Amino acid sequence: MTDHSIKRTLDLKFVRLLPAIALLLFSLSSATAQDTAQAAPPAEATASAAVAPSADGIPADEAVITSGRALYENNCTQCHAFNEVVVGPALKDAHTRWKLNNMISFIRYPQKYIETSRDKYAQGLYAQYKQYMPNHDFLSEAEVLSLVAYIKAESVKPAAAPDKIAGPPIFPPPTKDSGVSNELVSLIFAILIFVLFVFLVILVFLINILKRFIENKEGVPDDEKALVDQKFDLAAFFKSSFFRTSVTVIALLFISKVAFDSIINIGIQQGYSPKQPIAFSHKLHAGEYQIDCNYCHTGAKKGKAAVIPSANVCMNCHNAIKPESPEIKKIYAAIEKDQPIEWVRIHNLPDHAYFNHAQHVTVGGLECQNCHGQIQEMEVVQQYSPLTMGWCINCHRETAVNAENNAYYDKMVSLHKTVSKQPMKVKDIGGLECAKCHY
Amino acid sequence: MMKAKNQIALFFVILLAGCKAGGDNPGTEYAPNMYHAVSYETQSTIVNPEIGTTVSTRVDGKGEYYSVNAYNPAGSARLPVKGTIKRRYYPANVKMADSVKRDLMIYNIHRDSIDLAARVLANPLALNDQILEDGKVLYISYCSACHGENGQGDGKVGAKYKGVPAYNKGRVAQVTGGHIFHTITHGKGRMWPHGSQINPIDRWKIVHYVQTLQKQ
Repeated sequence: MTDHSIKRTLDLKFVRLLPAIALLLFSLSSATAQDTAQAAPPAEATASAAVAPSADGIPADEAVITSGRALYENNCTQCHAFNEVVVGPALKDAHTRWKLNNMISFIRYPQKYIETSRDKYAQGLYAQYKQYMPNHDFLSEAEVLSLVAYIKAESVKPAAAPDKIAGPPIFPPPTKDSGVSNELVSLIFAILIFVLFVFLVILVFLINILKRFIENKEGVPDDEKALVDQKFDLAAFFKSSFFRTSVTVIALLFISKVAFDSIINIGIQQGYSPKQPIAFSHKLHAGEYQIDCNYCHTGAKKGKAAVIPSANVCMNCHNAIKPESPEIKKIYAAIEKDQPIEWVRIHNLPDHAYFNHAQHVTVGGLECQNCHGQIQEMEVVQQYSPLTMGWCINCHRETAVNAENNAYYDKMVSLHKTVSKQPMKVKDIGGLECAKCHY
Repeated sequence: MMKAKNQIALFFVILLAGCKAGGDNPGTEYAPNMYHAVSYETQSTIVNPEIGTTVSTRVDGKGEYYSVNAYNPAGSARLPVKGTIKRRYYPANVKMADSVKRDLMIYNIHRDSIDLAARVLANPLALNDQILEDGKVLYISYCSACHGENGQGDGKVGAKYKGVPAYNKGRVAQVTGGHIFHTITHGKGRMWPHGSQINPIDRWKIVHYVQTLQKQ
C-alpha cells in the first residue's frame, strides 16, 4: 500500500539521476531529430506560403492559427491557461520568453530539453513547478509551430476576456423537494397560533363584560359579588396539596423516564463521535466534492470490512491538493515513518455478532446511508444507528430480498410463492436464525 | 422525606446519564468481556493501556482492550511482515467469450512501459451490456470524482486537482484499452496509481466503459 508511494518517491529520485542516461539517449536520437528538423521547414513553408512569417518566424496565417487553436484546446487546456497558472505556467506572451526553435523542442520533449540543454529559463521552469510537462512527441514540429502561432495570436489580442479552463459548471445543486411542505407546515402553525390568540383576546373581553354586568346588576348577594371580585392567591396555590402532588408525580415520571433511557442505553454506542487523530471531514470529501464512498472504502462491496483507506489512497489527491495543511502533514509523517494511521474505530459490533459489508451492500443493494446516516453531511462522523440486535432484526423483518437478476434466489422465490403472497423478506430465508449472525 | 427520596432519584439519574455515548465517550457497556475479541479486530487498534482496566483479566495489568504489543506497535492496522513477497501472479480465471479461460492477473509490464502495454494488452472481457453497466458503476466510484460523470475531465475534485483531460478530445480519444488499463494500474502524468484500489477484472470493465466515453 504505502510501498506504492515509497516506490514512487524512489523512482522520482531515480528520475533526477537520469540526465546521464537521457544524454545517451539524446545522442542516439539527435540524429533522427536533426533529420526531422531539416525536413520540417519545407513542409511549414508550403503551409504558410500565402502569408510570409513575421520577423520572429511565427506564422500569422489565419488557417495555421485555427489549427493551432484546435491543438491547444485538445492537448493543453488541462494544464495551461493564458492568464493564470493552472498546473503549468500562464501562456500569455510565452512566445516572447523563448527562442522559437527551443520552444518547439521543449514542447515536444520537455524533460530531455531541460536535462540536456543549458537553457537557464527552462531549468528555472522546472525549479519553479517541480514537474516535467509530458512529452508531446505525437505533435509534429509543424503542428507545434501552429500551436505557438495560436499562443502568439491570443497573447497579442487586445483586452481579451479572462479565460479559464473550458467546461460547463458541474453538478447543479440538488433541488429541495421537501422545502415546500416544510413551509406549509410552519404556515399552518402560524395560522393556528394567530387563531388561538384571537380566541384569548375575545375571552378576556367577554370576562370583562360579564364582570361589569354583575357589578352593575342590582340584587346580587354580597358573597357572590365577593366571588366575582376575588383575586387569585398564588401562595395558597403553591401550598395546596393538589399542586404538590402533581409536581411530585411529574418529577418522578421524568426521573424514571431518564433512568429507563439510561439503562436501556447501556451497551449502545449510538451518537459516539470520537475525535480522530486526523480531522478528516466526510462533509468536505463525500459531500462537497462528491467522492464516492467506494473510492476510499474499497472493501464495502467486496468483503467483511468496509476498510479504512491506506495512506496511498489519500495521496492520490493530496500529493497536490493542500499539502501545506497540518492535518495532511500528519499523513505525510505516517508515510515517512512507515506506520499506519491510528484511527479510532466508531462502529463496533460485539465480538459475538458477525456482520459482512459485501452481503449488505453488493447483494442487498443497501446504500451506505441506510445504516451510517447522512455521512456526507457529517464534519465528525458519529454512530448513527444503534447497532442493537433489535435494530438488525427489525430490518430483516421488514426488508424484501433483492432477488432480481440473482439466480441464487430463484428456487427460494418460487418456493416462497407457494406459501405466501407477500414479497420474500429476509426473515423468510433465515434472516432471524440465531446462527446467521452468532457462530 | 419526599425531598430525600427525590435526591436519591436525582443521584441515580446523574449516575446513569453517564452511560450514554456521545462525543469521545463510547458509553457504558454491560459485560464488556463478551463484547471485545481476544484476537485483534479489523481496524480497531487500542493503544491506550488504561482502557478497560476495571474489567481486565490480563496478567500484565494493562486494560482489557489494549491491542498492541512490542512487536506490533500499530495493532491490527499492520503492514506486511518484512520480507513479504508481493503476490503479483495469483490466478483469476475469466471465462472468455470463446470459453477459453485466461489468467487475468498475470500482469508484469513495468510501469514505465506504457507504450508496450498499449500495444500488447487486449481486454480479456467480451463487451456486453452487463459489463458496460458494471463498468459504469465502477467508473462512477473510482474515476468520476476527477474525470467527471461523462469523462469530460470536469469532476469536482478534478477542478481542484487540475490537469484532468477530457476522454473524447485530442490524443486521449485515440489511446487503446491497454493504455487505459496501464494508466489505471500505474498512473500516468498527474494521475497516481489506482491498482491497489481496483482489481484487474474491474479495471478491464472500467476500460470498456471509458472506451465508450472516448467515442462520445
